[in-house]
Amino acid sequence: MVHETLAATNAVVTLDVAIPDIFWGWYVTMNMWAKSIGTGLVFMLFLLLKKNSSEMNGLRAPVMIASFIFMNIFLVFTWLDLHQMWRMWHIFFYPHWTSAITVGAWMATLFVGLEFVMIAVMIRKEKCLLTKEPTAFFDKTLFWVTLLAIPVTLYTAGIMAEATARELWQMPTESAQMILAATLSGSAAIILLGGSKLSSETKNFFGAILGLSALMAFIIYMSEYIFGAMKAEEVAAILGYVKGDGEYATMFWIGQWVAYILPMILVALSRVSNSSSLLNLAAILAIVGLWVVKHVWLVIPQLLPMS
Amino acid sequence: MQLGFLVDLHLCMGCKGCEIACKVENEVPLSTWRLRVKYVDVGTFPETKRTFTPLRCNHCENAPCERICPVSALHYIENGIVNIDKERCIGCAGCVMACPYGAIYIDPETQTADKCTYCAHRIASSMMPACVVACPVEANIFGDLEDPSSNISKYIQAHRDVQVRKPEKGTNPHHYYVGAGQVSLNPLASKREEGYNLFNNITTLPLGGHH
Repeated sequence: MVHETLAATNAVVTLDVAIPDIFWGWYVTMNMWAKSIGTGLVFMLFLLLKKNSSEMNGLRAPVMIASFIFMNIFLVFTWLDLHQMWRMWHIFFYPHWTSAITVGAWMATLFVGLEFVMIAVMIRKEKCLLTKEPTAFFDKTLFWVTLLAIPVTLYTAGIMAEATARELWQMPTESAQMILAATLSGSAAIILLGGSKLSSETKNFFGAILGLSALMAFIIYMSEYIFGAMKAEEVAAILGYVKGDGEYATMFWIGQWVAYILPMILVALSRVSNSSSLLNLAAILAIVGLWVVKHVWLVIPQLLPMS
Repeated sequence: MQLGFLVDLHLCMGCKGCEIACKVENEVPLSTWRLRVKYVDVGTFPETKRTFTPLRCNHCENAPCERICPVSALHYIENGIVNIDKERCIGCAGCVMACPYGAIYIDPETQTADKCTYCAHRIASSMMPACVVACPVEANIFGDLEDPSSNISKYIQAHRDVQVRKPEKGTNPHHYYVGAGQVSLNPLASKREEGYNLFNNITTLPLGGHH
């Protein structure tokens, strides 16, 4: 690694006005965070349908509306982050299909459109052409929307993978993190939204998903933290920002504790004591903490000089 | 035709004439650069030397910026140049993230991505890029890489230490350096310390992004 030659060469950049360090800031964090909740809620609603459809009553429209709101938060922040936001339509009229941004924009638009139709059908309670009852239409469409939620969740990992020199953003790990972020925040959100409409057994089921998602995501982060530096000097340099006295070390560990460690502990305690309050607290912490972990991981690769 | 650039760092003396010529030719706004010369000081006093490395878009054969651009604002033209259509750009900054060389920025006036185009407009009129014309020591060598009789092809054939930046990224840059070392080409091979900058204290541009 060139780092080891630095002591010998004592090379210091004395003139180079580089491009800005953090270009994708908290708007993009909001994008990823809201999308995780939006798609995660759909995953959880589908699981509920398969596990115990009788508990879907009274939850179909509210959960889908919540998902729709978070998906729109995601879209709004994506749009606000554009420097030429009024040219957003170019993405539909001049699409470039090698770009994960294009593919994601199209899929997310279709996803939100289908959500809108499902909500409209449930609210208007109109009989549908394809099925006799709105709920039957909703449940059938939910399968396809859930399928679509998978690439909508994953495409951001594709964008990060296409950022060639940001070696911390690798498609395999980022894909896993995106899906786990969706299951973590989705399970947390449905626990909070479900309230008394969900049985304690179902709440425990979603609690288990929350706890396991937190555990797996935490394992991936720790694996990167400990072993990532052994593979590439760029990763080693980036991880320096979250290790020791690194600029983002405190924020990184706050995120890990709030998003993963505390929710894991609280989920375990809630199962032992059969406490829905502890489960609710775990859900709130997971949702809040997810924003922090996403932000740190988004920002630190951008701090590395490219030139 | 495949146009390419070569900079002989043995010749470059860091005069920044190329930077200024580029700025004037392309009306590059204040605080932004399509081309800039990086100074790296090596050694410990009194055994020190200064290296100069002109940095510009590498016009990669496998350009990450072209791949990630959602609207094809970044595109190849027939002579191999990676060009930009500023009217089409939506300013998503995906290209800024994707470029492994830090060669793309958001133009503060147009709020669109911008970068070196090898002066595509001059080439279309059979003129050399502005930086080539301005260089007093002919350190910038420009031409058709597919033509074995071109200056750049001859130069590459005559020198053994021809290198590109970050070859491990698989971008296949069409921008070469002669006489470069790790210090010149690898951003991690040198420190960036507060208070060590010449002329001013600006280390990054206060532009773009939502911090």
